[in-house]
Amino acid sequence: MRYGRRVRPFPGSRRLVLLAATLAVLAGCDLPTFGAPESKSEQGDSITALWQGFFLTAIGVALLVWGLIVYVLVRYRCRRPKSGRAGGDAAEDDEPLPSQRPYNIPLEIAYTTLPVVIVAVLFGFSVATEDDVTRVDPDPAAVVEVVGFQWSWQFVYEDEDVVVTGEPGEPPELVLPVGRPSRLVLRTSDVNHAFWVPDFLSKRDLIPGVDNEIDVTPTETGEYVGRCAEFCGLDHWRMSYTVRVVPEAEYEDWLAEQQAEAAEDGVESEAAEPEEAGAS
Amino acid sequence: MTVLDERPGLADEAPEPREAKGLLAFLVTTDHKRIGIAYMATAYAFFLIGGALAGVIRAELYSPGTQVVSQGRYNEMFTMHGSIMLFLFLGPFGFGLANYFVPLHIGARDMAFPRLNALSYWFYLFGGITMLTGFLTADGAADFGWTGYTPLSDIIRSPGVGADLWIAAIALTGLSGVLTAVNIVTTVVAMRAPGMRMFRMPIFTWNMLVTSILVLIAFPVVTSAAVMLFADRQLDAHVYDASAGGSAVLWQHLFWFFGHPEVYILVLPFFGVITEVLPVFSLRPVFGYAGLVFATIAIAALSVGVWAHHMFTTGAVLLPFFTGFSMLIAVPTGVKFFNWIGTMWGGRITLKAPMLFALGFLFTFLLGGISGVMLAAAPIDFHVHDSYFVVAHMHYVLFGGSVFALYAGIYYWFPKVTGRVLDERWGRVHFWMNLVGFHLTFFVQHILGLDGMPRRVADYLESDGFTSLNRVSSFGAALLGASTLPFLWNVWQTLRGRLGEPAGNDPWGAQTLEWVTTSPPPPHNFDELPPIRSERPKWDLDHAGVGDG
Repeated sequence: MRYGRRVRPFPGSRRLVLLAATLAVLAGCDLPTFGAPESKSEQGDSITALWQGFFLTAIGVALLVWGLIVYVLVRYRCRRPKSGRAGGDAAEDDEPLPSQRPYNIPLEIAYTTLPVVIVAVLFGFSVATEDDVTRVDPDPAAVVEVVGFQWSWQFVYEDEDVVVTGEPGEPPELVLPVGRPSRLVLRTSDVNHAFWVPDFLSKRDLIPGVDNEIDVTPTETGEYVGRCAEFCGLDHWRMSYTVRVVPEAEYEDWLAEQQAEAAEDGVESEAAEPEEAGAS
Repeated sequence: MTVLDERPGLADEAPEPREAKGLLAFLVTTDHKRIGIAYMATAYAFFLIGGALAGVIRAELYSPGTQVVSQGRYNEMFTMHGSIMLFLFLGPFGFGLANYFVPLHIGARDMAFPRLNALSYWFYLFGGITMLTGFLTADGAADFGWTGYTPLSDIIRSPGVGADLWIAAIALTGLSGVLTAVNIVTTVVAMRAPGMRMFRMPIFTWNMLVTSILVLIAFPVVTSAAVMLFADRQLDAHVYDASAGGSAVLWQHLFWFFGHPEVYILVLPFFGVITEVLPVFSLRPVFGYAGLVFATIAIAALSVGVWAHHMFTTGAVLLPFFTGFSMLIAVPTGVKFFNWIGTMWGGRITLKAPMLFALGFLFTFLLGGISGVMLAAAPIDFHVHDSYFVVAHMHYVLFGGSVFALYAGIYYWFPKVTGRVLDERWGRVHFWMNLVGFHLTFFVQHILGLDGMPRRVADYLESDGFTSLNRVSSFGAALLGASTLPFLWNVWQTLRGRLGEPAGNDPWGAQTLEWVTTSPPPPHNFDELPPIRSERPKWDLDHAGVGDG
């Protein structure tokens, strides 16, 4: 491979490197997740990228401020104060007083501007990511009504006539197709709950009177733990569920299976109905 | 004791009544110093109770499974822990400091309304007791979290009397806070000594003024929200009942419209404490005094426009607005940090106990501020909201921030209040146990939250993989709890005269007016005021003729 011309270093190169680093961060290429779970959804990927950017910025800010504090302590610590008093008395202290300069306007303007710039950049990326993860697809692969109740969940596949309901001690299973957006319509039948799948890095509340909809586009098949994140009373901590992400064909099979089971149950209950009527 | 108002022109005052002694002196007092001590002692007692509840929480979370308390009891524990710490400890302790030091800082003889001052203390005390009596009722104390979200806190889901007692306590302590705030604002505006212009007041007093204005904005909202909740529960009012045309999310709006300024009500006084301690132990003036005042005002102004960042996941708020405003708060807070560093820069730093705690504050609170900016980004909040990450963040702000600064304030002002300096060695033991215990307890909670552990869970499963970090956290909590023992021992022994040393008027070489008078100050505070020609009248007195270096 031949280089046509060498890239000449120029004054702005440092800024470019910084920009490139930021972009690399946002592309999320090969960076660790810094404690966040490995994302298993497209929305989660966006949030992970934002988190990585914030985390690196945080490290930078923390090192700068801690560095300044440590420097000040090492440089200006008085190891043997003359008297017991920190301030001492001017009369008994032969050392000259340290500089009593009470302000430095240019410096203060500089360190007011610096955080404004950092925050403005973070805000920009944050809003972009937010648009990305709150967008809902006009044509979702599945529409599931997620109903929270004290203390479990019901998943209603309205168009397919499939209902999955959690029983005590038996977390329900939410089945979603991989690779395509699924719409989750979040409703509660009693108090506030929150739908949280840590592996998707997304969460949304279920509040009476508030209709929430989110899209999840899973990127990998597998089983993920889902939890209730909003405190909802006695058995709050138990209110978990499983999200099973499957290939689309398998998803269709699962739906058909559920419909068949439901039909069977339906026949049974229809058969049972006359008996009940007779009993009453 | 002297409780008489001094009215100009009245030469012949009534003879001084016999001075009350001991506990009686505190029961009948309207003296701002005694009320201040009563506030601080009561708040610290509530801190110990709230800390004990936290101990139960950490013990229960040490292992998967139920070992120490049942789920229901556990829910009472974290509800009361949060409620006590936020409503009965931090704020009132700040008010206690303000009661004691604002009049001294501005050269006043007492607060503007001494009787109102006493009244607000008693409201606070009995409000606190009312909240705690929930534990004595059949259904136990309130158990819906310190945020009391509706509909969980309605009469159907929380039928216990403990919930009503909790609501009554919120209303009582809210009223107490409003009365105190009125008193502080009036005192600062109307009672300053000649020469004590606004821009010569110590930063602590500035911060208390701004805090009080925030209290006046925020507390009436939570008090009325609590009254409406009470009406919902007892009078079928349906204010928060979505099924009857009310709104469940309204409670969240009202609560956080109080709750977010409240966070600043709980930290601004302690920012003020830090700003008092750093210059004294650096032998420097406050760096960027005016900048610090404007930063405080900016924080307060922004803080009333950010409440919905607690509600990003509700889907009922405008995300970019609240993200932007919340992030902006980092700017004045950052300015404060740089001003604090600038105060130490070029100084002569002595690491006495107050300074150690102040540095512990700088070191720890920084992390709380940074994780706050992370949480202000709505998408990141979507992941970590209501997880242990938030628990960690909140404790880095309110414990790593406020409580460290509070201890700095105690070590700094104890000599003024009691006449004796606390023992330095025990102070150091206390500091290091506190610092290590704190970070052990709360740092790992960031990781737990990112990992998927929701907050307010009574238990977790072995298979969740949360066990080892929870153990670290519980060990840390034990150390943190134990760190109060050297402190209490130090206070007790110093008061008995076996530890520490006599203070004199000013054991530190301090700069502000409270150190001019005796320790403890006489009932009328000052026999004589020095001329006030800068924000450091005591320094000017000590260094007369030295010049400005």
